[in-house]
Amino acid sequence: MRSATLVLAAYIMCVIVAASWRMFGGVLHDAVPDLGALTAAYLGLTARRDVAPAVGASVVLGYLIDLISGAPPGLSALVLALTGLVARAVQQRIFVRGKVMTMAFSAFVALVAWVIAFVVRVLYHASRADLVLELRHAALVIVATALAGNLVWRVFRRIDAAFARTARERDAALEGLAP
Amino acid sequence: MTLRRRLLDWSLAAVLVILPALVLRASMARGTPSGLDTALLRITAPLEAGVSWVVEGIGGVWSRYVALVDVEDENRELRADNESLRKQLAVMTRRAFDISALEDLAVVKHQNPVDTVGARVIGAPLSPQLRVLRLRLDRGEGEVLPEQAVITSAGPVGRIGTVFGPYADVRLLSDPDSTIDVVLPRTGGIGKLKGLGRPDTYACWIRWLDRSATADTKVQVGDEVVTSGVHGDFPAGLLAGKISKILRDDGMFQEVEVEPTVDPSRVRAVMVLLAPRPPADPDAKVKKHSEPAFGGRPL
Repeated sequence: MRSATLVLAAYIMCVIVAASWRMFGGVLHDAVPDLGALTAAYLGLTARRDVAPAVGASVVLGYLIDLISGAPPGLSALVLALTGLVARAVQQRIFVRGKVMTMAFSAFVALVAWVIAFVVRVLYHASRADLVLELRHAALVIVATALAGNLVWRVFRRIDAAFARTARERDAALEGLAP
Repeated sequence: MTLRRRLLDWSLAAVLVILPALVLRASMARGTPSGLDTALLRITAPLEAGVSWVVEGIGGVWSRYVALVDVEDENRELRADNESLRKQLAVMTRRAFDISALEDLAVVKHQNPVDTVGARVIGAPLSPQLRVLRLRLDRGEGEVLPEQAVITSAGPVGRIGTVFGPYADVRLLSDPDSTIDVVLPRTGGIGKLKGLGRPDTYACWIRWLDRSATADTKVQVGDEVVTSGVHGDFPAGLLAGKISKILRDDGMFQEVEVEPTVDPSRVRAVMVLLAPRPPADPDAKVKKHSEPAFGGRPL
């Protein structure tokens, strides 16, 4: 239920971003925060014992994002699933807490997602732009994701707090402590 | 966590990773959305449309009422464009007016087989005492002479007063010194149309207008006045104006005021009729005696 709520919230945020970002001009137009990667990373990072639910939720969200963005169905799903696994792998090694750390981790997640997406597109012969353009776009997305990371994760922590079974779990969720 | 559960968990995760990879391969091979994609798009599209509508509404309020940073510059550019377009419109309107005037002149030329010269009006009447238009002649310098008739498609304008090179002054019908012979087609009455020289209108009057014997042929306000063609300066049948007021109606003659059909303030081009007036009689001042009838002279 928690994963479904997180996916739904992330999906609504993606729809809002998709509807609103096209109104921006200039550099901002391409600086779209990678909410899917942030969500997959959060799911992977906060996965309790089983990894499958986090990967499953990431796949569902990725599939919905594919439908929103017009990408080939499965592309974002695969990328987010792998991003979630990367986040799950670093769960025991880093401690994401505080605004600066969250921003840095968000940027790292966006970078990982972009690399995975690039590799997948190369493997599947999907459409690619010029490498310079791709790198410029990746830089903008990473910056935008880093800036949006705190806000998005705060929303997710609120949702986690709502699903907490005990007061201690609730406080831990709001603090951003791994379960 | 037992090994078996861990294996199951990772196996499931692997399946969940492989699944989108297969879906991606299938979608890349197919190129079109599957039935599931289409169904999900139909379900999610209204949500996207609703969110988009709300966001656009907020964006519209923002751009119309809050973010007005570039509006002043844009307004300035639009004002400049507007001014430029107004100037262009004025030029085009004047050109269209000129073309219309030239078309009228072509009609006049066609209707009057006499030799004519076209001329453009370059000066409007300024003094009520001297009702003149200044013309620039297109050609015929030296051929245009004083007293030649000046007409437009609407009717007579006046007579050439002074000629100086390619320019000429036209004495308008409303000038007090102007006189042309006219006739009223409805009553058959003839008279001389003279200018009143009023400062506010171009009105003329007919002082000695023949009055018919029968009451039903009396002149009325609105009767048309046309040139009679007597003396040959103006061609017969040109509509000179309409009777606007009956000033006197007694005895054998009537006195009426005429509103000319041609408004000189709006004339842009005219036609000068080059056909000269009949030469003056050289013996006009010599007193002639009739030959005696049957050899006798009256007492």
